Amino acid sequence: MTVRSRTTVRWLVRTLSEICVTAGALIVLFVVYLLLWTGVRADSAMDGEIGRLQHQWSAGPAAAPGRTPAPGEHPAPAARPRRYAPGASFAVMYIPRLGPDWAKPVLEGTGTDVLQRGLGHYDTTAHLGEVGNFSVAGHRRTYGDPFKDFPELRPGDAVVLTDGTTWFTYRIDNRPYTTLPGDIGVIDPVPRKSGFNGPGRYLTLTTCEPEWGHSHRLIAWAHLDATQPVAQGRPSALTG
Amino acid sequence: MYGWIWRHLPGNTWVKALISLVLVLAVVFVLFQYVFPWAEPLLPFNDVTVDQGMAAVR
Repeated sequence: MTVRSRTTVRWLVRTLSEICVTAGALIVLFVVYLLLWTGVRADSAMDGEIGRLQHQWSAGPAAAPGRTPAPGEHPAPAARPRRYAPGASFAVMYIPRLGPDWAKPVLEGTGTDVLQRGLGHYDTTAHLGEVGNFSVAGHRRTYGDPFKDFPELRPGDAVVLTDGTTWFTYRIDNRPYTTLPGDIGVIDPVPRKSGFNGPGRYLTLTTCEPEWGHSHRLIAWAHLDATQPVAQGRPSALTG
Repeated sequence: MYGWIWRHLPGNTWVKALISLVLVLAVVFVLFQYVFPWAEPLLPFNDVTVDQGMAAVR
């Protein structure tokens, strides 16, 4: 073997190992990013959204976004805005089954960037507490893992939401139902296969299934069980 | 590659080590700030809705 060819082989081996080490380091870094960093970012974003909402609500109901009535204008009886502002948070969701401290903001829309900051309300579905199907999507894994324990949900579990003026307590009606990604009937006003057979005030939660995959979706349905004004304090589902 | 970079860094061993550290941190920053956020939606963890096919049509 000549000196020249030996150097070439050495260079080849060295370059190859450097590429392998670099690729390995990249993969490890990406896993760290997915498992830790997206969670750190999402948790701070969600805390920020909840803090912003609470600040806004404590400033009084007149400060509802886009609904500051001009002087002399009579506030409409339905004080709630007709549409939620896209990408903005408008409610906080509590699910005691997912943890006593489990509280996530609900934002309008289900785009990728929205779901990185909280739960997303399907903008074509009903508003909170209204007749129809208030449908919400959330990450199962990454971005704070909001719906990590989704399969633990059981009939009778409370899903409590507040929009700053009213507490809405929904009760889950089914064990999580597995379906295909294209099954948009699950967020119909009267969701298909849910067992509901007439118009009502429903809630649908969707997330991905399996935990780290995207081949299926996991669905939970609930109906509105009780409402009470915020002035009356937290509902029994949260305090009990 | 790494050997080539090391040889082309100025200063003595300590200065080289310090510059290398800064370079590594810069690369990690760029990855976390720009590359990974771009690559992440290509993975399946974002598909949590039931109307993603529809959303593209709308």
